[in-house]
Amino acid sequence: MNIPGEAVASPDFRFFEKRTNFILSFCFEKNEDTGGMKKLETPAIELKNISKTFGSIKANQHVNLTVKNGEILSLLGENGSGKTTLMNMISGIYFPDEGQIFIDGKEVVIRSPKDAFDHKIGMIHQHFKLVDIFTAAENIVLGLKENGKYSIKQVAARVSEISAKYGFDIDPMKKIYEMSVSEKQTVEIIKVLYRGANILILDEPTAVLTPQETQKLFAVLRRMRDDGKAIVIITHKLHEVLSLSDRVSVLRKGEFIGTVKTSETNEAELTEMMVGKKVSLNIERSEPKNPQDRLIVKHINCKNRDGVKVLDDISFTAKGGEILGIAGIAGSGQRELLEAIAGLQHLDSGEITYNNPKTGITENLRDKTPLQIRELGVRLSFVPEDRLGMGLVGNMDIIDNMMLRSYRKGKSVFLERKQPKSLAEKIINDLEVVTPGATTPVRRLSGGNVQKVLVGREIAAAPTVLMAAYPVRGLDINSSYLIYNLLNEQKKRGVAVIFVGEDLDVLVELCDRIMVIGSGRITGIVDGRSANKNELGLLMTKTHQGGEKDE
Amino acid sequence: MSKKNENKVREPLFHIAKRNSMVWWKAWLIRGAAILASLVVCALIIVLLTKQNPLEVYASMFKGSFGTKRKVWILLQNMAILLCISLAVTPAFKMRFWNLGAEGQVLIGGLASAACMFYIGDRLPNLLLILIMFVASVLGGIIWGVIPAYFKAKWNTNESLFTLMMNYIAIQLVSFAIMVWVPSGSSVMGVINSSTSAGWIPDLFGKKYLFNILVVAAVTALMFVYLKYSKHGYELSVVGESENTARYIGINVKKVIIRTMVLSGAVCGLAGFLLVSGTNHTISKTLAGGNGFTAIMVSWLAKFNPILMILTSFLIVFLQRGAGEIATNFRLNESVADILTGVIIFFIIGCEFFINYEIKSTHAKHKEGK
Amino acid sequence: MKKVLALLLAAVLVFSFAACSGSKDTTTTAGADESTSAAPTDVDYSKVKVGLICLHDENSTYDNNFIQALKDTQTKLGLKDDQVLIKTNIPEDDKCLNAAQELADEGCNIIFADSFGHETYMMQAAKEFPEIQFCHATGTHAKTAELKNFHNAFAAIYEGRYLAGIAAGMKLNEMIKDGKIKADEAKIGYVGAFNYAEVVSGLTSFFLGARSVCESATMKVTYTNSWFDIALEREAALSLIKDGCVLISQHADSEGAPKACEEKKVPNVAYNIDTSSMGPNTALISSKINWSPYYELAITAVAKGEEFATDWCGTLATGSVQLTKLNEAVAAEGTQAALDEAIAKLEKGELKVFDTATFTVDGKALESYKADVIPDEKFEKDTEVIKDGVFCESDVDGMRSAPYFDIMYIDGISEK
Repeated sequence: MNIPGEAVASPDFRFFEKRTNFILSFCFEKNEDTGGMKKLETPAIELKNISKTFGSIKANQHVNLTVKNGEILSLLGENGSGKTTLMNMISGIYFPDEGQIFIDGKEVVIRSPKDAFDHKIGMIHQHFKLVDIFTAAENIVLGLKENGKYSIKQVAARVSEISAKYGFDIDPMKKIYEMSVSEKQTVEIIKVLYRGANILILDEPTAVLTPQETQKLFAVLRRMRDDGKAIVIITHKLHEVLSLSDRVSVLRKGEFIGTVKTSETNEAELTEMMVGKKVSLNIERSEPKNPQDRLIVKHINCKNRDGVKVLDDISFTAKGGEILGIAGIAGSGQRELLEAIAGLQHLDSGEITYNNPKTGITENLRDKTPLQIRELGVRLSFVPEDRLGMGLVGNMDIIDNMMLRSYRKGKSVFLERKQPKSLAEKIINDLEVVTPGATTPVRRLSGGNVQKVLVGREIAAAPTVLMAAYPVRGLDINSSYLIYNLLNEQKKRGVAVIFVGEDLDVLVELCDRIMVIGSGRITGIVDGRSANKNELGLLMTKTHQGGEKDE
Repeated sequence: MSKKNENKVREPLFHIAKRNSMVWWKAWLIRGAAILASLVVCALIIVLLTKQNPLEVYASMFKGSFGTKRKVWILLQNMAILLCISLAVTPAFKMRFWNLGAEGQVLIGGLASAACMFYIGDRLPNLLLILIMFVASVLGGIIWGVIPAYFKAKWNTNESLFTLMMNYIAIQLVSFAIMVWVPSGSSVMGVINSSTSAGWIPDLFGKKYLFNILVVAAVTALMFVYLKYSKHGYELSVVGESENTARYIGINVKKVIIRTMVLSGAVCGLAGFLLVSGTNHTISKTLAGGNGFTAIMVSWLAKFNPILMILTSFLIVFLQRGAGEIATNFRLNESVADILTGVIIFFIIGCEFFINYEIKSTHAKHKEGK
Repeated sequence: MKKVLALLLAAVLVFSFAACSGSKDTTTTAGADESTSAAPTDVDYSKVKVGLICLHDENSTYDNNFIQALKDTQTKLGLKDDQVLIKTNIPEDDKCLNAAQELADEGCNIIFADSFGHETYMMQAAKEFPEIQFCHATGTHAKTAELKNFHNAFAAIYEGRYLAGIAAGMKLNEMIKDGKIKADEAKIGYVGAFNYAEVVSGLTSFFLGARSVCESATMKVTYTNSWFDIALEREAALSLIKDGCVLISQHADSEGAPKACEEKKVPNVAYNIDTSSMGPNTALISSKINWSPYYELAITAVAKGEEFATDWCGTLATGSVQLTKLNEAVAAEGTQAALDEAIAKLEKGELKVFDTATFTVDGKALESYKADVIPDEKFEKDTEVIKDGVFCESDVDGMRSAPYFDIMYIDGISEK
């Protein structure tokens, strides 16, 4: 294994020199390989063979990437493809398991964000790290050790200077809590520029911006590029990639797929790079038998705490005996949609109704609490995305977690642990949960076993509607197939299954119908048997903002 | 690789990882070692600061709790009160409701008892009076506990500050009551009904503290059952672990918060009743004597398990009694004794870190890479 | 433990006293210098074991006064360390009874307690251990409790107050003479803890002392409702100064008032502590109780196996009432001479502090007054305390040692 830092650590200067030459020659070769430029140009960042694993998950595998000065590179990939992990390794938040990082041709070791700053790397994270009650200028100098006397006026002057240079629009003395999201983002960008960053990494900067704000940001980024800065922008919005960047690098499931020049590519090609070729999974799919409308969702709308619309006029029907897949970029409203059905999300408008197969009565579910929904006789099971934070209680054992759904049974003030215990044992047995026993706290179990416990419990409630959000995330192959089989079994029993997934291969093979949502809107509902991944990929990255759809 | 360059790389020497679980006897071995280590550190402090023989000091500490039969009874009585208040705060803490107001809740409970004793006196049969006092105390504690809970449930106010502030209101109310009841202005209530003993819990089998001890033993058992085997106890655990989960399974979180604080306040009120009616027969601003805060530590140390709390409350009271004994026997200011108990508790709490986490050397890994 | 936790968990909740002045008292014993004389050599002290129960510890000036006096007495009588057991931080509840019982179990044959609220528990202990002497300072019950082994003790501190008042009056006179104030502006401010007889008696005697030399003096009183509260006492002093008080005295145990006075350059008369170090330009004098004579008397009696007074009141003559050294930098000329003269007169009995001829209540001379001398649950005013034209304060022959002068107020004093 090659340990980064060894080259730096070597006291032998001559060796160091040799090494540098080697690197330079390598760069030269590399550039020649991609057929780009003939002349030797040192890239701002070069990543070689970078790998990072978290437990059993390979977040990045042997990734190679170069970013040149004076260019904008888009890092494209689906959720969980490892884009953010990769950038976090450059900005000092993670440390790679293997591989090398070169800045301006020199191999470096980055162990902390401070190291990254020392190498003039600045990252603008998706979630801002600002102190609300401080002004922009105060936030910008926060934690910065400068020589001389601290003068907020001088800071403000320099902030204004930077703003004028790149065309930012910011008042240095404005407090953060008075700022809009885009202003906060501007503060974050100036913060890294103030520290002299030459390499800027932006993690999904447009996710929180309006189209107008996005255009403004792009103008600024282009100016910075023209100033010779190296810019990496993480995104999955294809039209932005095409309109902004010079080159595009694509990651898929942690692997580096390739780099293309923006001018030489198109949406279709990028989508294919992103989603990859169809992989045959051989998931069983039976024909739906006598599908009946079970859950009808009509025109529902809701906003989050910041007043941003997260569900925008969603209408669909889930039928008994079929699996309805929901595809979309993470955070497009999937969580809110499922929680709205489960009675956990307040809706601004729209209706949710349920046809009870036993009584034939149509029940209104909107604005009902989970308990009220259950009291109506609606057998709704829900496997939430946040398994230990919502579906289960990590510190409780498997038996007590079984009781979450059933502990209210009976009039006694005391708990009845016999049935939950036998249920726990049954699930451990049937689903092959690896655990020391039924009295082990679930947080001690591995991800796959946690999910088996959760899905097992939800299915044991004999549902008529089963919603599962990312039920196979983080699971190994065997556990994943077990979950697919369980879902299929439910489907055969006439349950309306709603499956929110991220792996398009799985969605295409498992679901009878697939609904795609983007930015809280339905961008298409397709038949699972005829759908292909590229089609889904395009629908996922499509946004309904302005005329950009046509780009 | 030279030293200079090693520094440059700034490789951390070790990192900390969470342990999965530890065999119970290993955990207790670590705890035992921690107590031993703390005693060694304390011995050092004793020698350096006071030039006394540490073994004599420890012997004296032990004598402070077990020296005479009377000392054992006093130990049990102090334990009973501390345990009672610890049991009171436990459901709230288990629900992650930071009730720092036990001090005030106990005080209000005590005030209610004292008021009944003062105003009713011997006009009612003693048993009836005691019953009324009991009800009044529990109600008082409930009111003091529910106010912050209601505000928390309704407007999501910060319960730590709220309950803390309620303590001061309780203290001032007691001051006010004493001022009204004692026109001489001495601000000292003195023993209430000293001539009639009205409202005093009678000695049980000639033992003054036996009643308190039995009541608290019963409360301990009940609280254990409540937390472990009742639906209410289950619900408050879920709310404490994850409010999202609670909402997900349809628990009315607000209701659980209020209900749990009713219980917490009620048991605090009971402690106030035991202190006034069973022990002191008077009321003063320092009735709870800091036990409302000590109880938090007792509860945490026992990981909210009422049975284990018997052990932790014993530990704290043992140290307190020992501290007083050393202060008297060696003419040390009690602060010295407090330093010793502080060190011991620091080690006991600190060793939990080694039970929950392990320290791995990264150095080994580095070499491997070479 | 309590303190550690309070700090640990909520630093704001401090139920205990903070440390205050560490300066050593420089006292001049006003009366016969008994406390420095050698211990009686014919008494065998080897069998005595003394216990002391304190509300707080050395960090409280009040408790420190008891602890230091006992340590002085121990040295003087040649007692060993294990013959003197001191229990600190004992609250005024059942824990006091426990402490007394534990001391009894340790073999103590005389046990003292220093706080008013300890009394009822000390009496319970006295009933339980009839062969052990229980002595309680500032208490009121011994006279009537019919317990031979339960004792109260106090000192005629009103005499000390009166003397301190003379020093204050002289200072006022000097200010009038220097033209700093007019005669009718000679207003004294007094910061009291509670409107309790002990405080009222003290402030009245202080005022009478001041008026005995400065006829135009008046006094304004304010209460903090706490025995020890630095911030409140400071605020009270400042507001009195703002109201036009030109001299401040106090009966509360912190340095809040003296420090405020030093800040505002207003003369100050203190109680139980020597404040000359914290107020070199304003601290005039202070009066204090010295408990050593009582300790010696009680311990010697126990050693001899003799009975001693159930209710005892120390005086100037016994050395129990003391004045700290007069601060010449602040005091008016001739103050020491005036004090010496007054001390002599008080000791001879020529001068009575509460001579009804020297004050009026509601414009009338006080001919008869019933005070609450005998303690009961109804706080009944039960005993005639005016004898031969004198309000007999702390009169252990007829009444009791703890003060009962609770007239609020004699003319010239008003409450803010």
